[in-house]
Amino acid sequence: MGSTLLEVRNLKKHFPSTAGWVKAVDGIDLKIEKGKSFGLVGESGCGKSTLIRVMLKLLEPTAGQIFFDGQEITGYSFKEMRALRKEMGMVFQDPHLALNPRMTVFDIISRPLKIHGLARKKGDLTVQVVELLQSMGLQTEHMIRFPHELSGGQKQRIGVARALAVEPQLIFLDEPTSALDVSVQTKILKLLEKARQERDLTFFFISHDINLIRVVADIMGVMYLGKIVEIGPKELLLDDPHHPYTRGLFSAVPEPDPDHSITEIQLTGEVPSPVNPPPGCNFNPRCPHADDRCRVEEPEFRELADGRRVACHLY
Amino acid sequence: MRIEDLQVAFSTEEGPVEALDGVELTIHQGTFHGLIGETGCGKSVTGQTIMGLLDNNARIKKGRIMYREQDLLKLSSRQMERQIRGNEIAMIFQDPGSSLNPLFTIKNQIEEAIKMYRPVPRERREGLILEALQQVKLPDARNLMHRYPHQLSGGMKQRVMIAMMLACNPRLLIADEPTTALDVSIQAQFIKVLKDLKDNLDLTILYITHDLAVISELCDYVSVMYAGRIVENLSMYDLFRDPCHPYTEKLVNSVLGVSTRLDQLEEIPGSVPRLINPPPGCRFHPRCSEVLPVCSQEVPLLKEVKGLHSVACHRR
Repeated sequence: MGSTLLEVRNLKKHFPSTAGWVKAVDGIDLKIEKGKSFGLVGESGCGKSTLIRVMLKLLEPTAGQIFFDGQEITGYSFKEMRALRKEMGMVFQDPHLALNPRMTVFDIISRPLKIHGLARKKGDLTVQVVELLQSMGLQTEHMIRFPHELSGGQKQRIGVARALAVEPQLIFLDEPTSALDVSVQTKILKLLEKARQERDLTFFFISHDINLIRVVADIMGVMYLGKIVEIGPKELLLDDPHHPYTRGLFSAVPEPDPDHSITEIQLTGEVPSPVNPPPGCNFNPRCPHADDRCRVEEPEFRELADGRRVACHLY
Repeated sequence: MRIEDLQVAFSTEEGPVEALDGVELTIHQGTFHGLIGETGCGKSVTGQTIMGLLDNNARIKKGRIMYREQDLLKLSSRQMERQIRGNEIAMIFQDPGSSLNPLFTIKNQIEEAIKMYRPVPRERREGLILEALQQVKLPDARNLMHRYPHQLSGGMKQRVMIAMMLACNPRLLIADEPTTALDVSIQAQFIKVLKDLKDNLDLTILYITHDLAVISELCDYVSVMYAGRIVENLSMYDLFRDPCHPYTEKLVNSVLGVSTRLDQLEEIPGSVPRLINPPPGCRFHPRCSEVLPVCSQEVPLLKEVKGLHSVACHRR
């Protein structure tokens, strides 16, 4: 077992709205081990993007605790977080929006190095940027280009290079390939995996695309309406999903295989509003196994013998 | 429907863009036909050309769109509107939210469509609306039709779009990425609705998407587009089991989900060419691993490999 790099305990983030409190993140317990690749799947609005923004302290948590590398960072001020920002990078969904159109690639990648005072000497900065570009399969000449001169795949590789520049321990990846064409997706994923191996990085992916998480993650988590319903090693979850939501979600994924087809619809209805989530288990209105207990008592997030954790009264 | 040698160019500030360069494809009655390709390959332009909905800066340079013995490109915009669009060929778009008018109820909007395209007595309209809403499995249709679009979810709106189109009883439906904006569980419900319609009605669909997994759920035949041309026409089964064109082969093997292991996934070097200045000859040749000298000189034409399977590649 490796050591824990990131941990959150009972993390909550509620937003005020005219209709009441929006419980975007509502009690998350999570431990990410060093060197692992964690993938969190969930449908739109389940709170996965809010979760990483709270963990990065870009949003203040409503309740709960956040630990990074053994230190509690929940109460850290903006200033105190600054040093930690170097340890946690982020790659965004849309590379067309994530790069400043008025900066050259050199400026984009060297900026975090300058901010964190990691440029060794003046001449060295160029060397560092070139090394980063090469590790992403790009050439020195790309340094003087502007984002609009690059293709989507190249832009995303710049985004990754920027995140790697300060040699972080942990990188959050928010749907890193969903804005890209399939033919260039694989390249990014392979470069990411190579960087992870070489630099001993920890990845935290979030995506609505189960097929993506299936490929990139060691550990997989499933989020529904502000809570994690099931988490465990990828193979366990894929081979034998336990939580009825996990099962329904996986069964709804179309597979690129002519001999496979979606046979029955297990997930009916729609995701309820996070303003007034259903009492008890918040999945109960859509769950085929729901009984009276599920409608009143919230299930505990229990660890099972095989090492997974699941929040359901059935287990 | 048979599309023959269709060429469409857009004039832009940077010069003409040859969005479609000799598109050839045949859609058989009663089948679901997938049109796949990556961003900018011209798949949506193909749909818009069929519907006569191209932007002002587009010019149809050549080609025919034969639909039931008539060339759609020869019809005036008035004829298209009166005779074809809506009652013969209908279209649904990617974003259901922006396709519905927020100021009118669902019933108003479907009724409006029926008024335009289907001459039935007023008292029969409500029955048709209900029937259409039930066909797409919308619960509680009688109440639902009095609601406004903002009261419905994305998945429900997309089903309302289908219902609206069914109420007008077209023969051909063009669906342009209808599930891209939907979550997987909602997408699965939507796919189920389309499958049921396929079984129960004699409907033909041209399904435009980049998502090969959805294709495998729905389509009988597939046309693969690359940089403004059709590179391969084949059955859905052959797409996954026996693709001929190097691009098709690589594309299929790069789809997440074909394999769960990253090292087994294929990557295609380079990126999709810009159509301002496309590569000469076969437009895929700069990225192709089986390139021949002739590939950069001559445009490969579609050749039949076997019945209903044709490929445009000098190698085959």
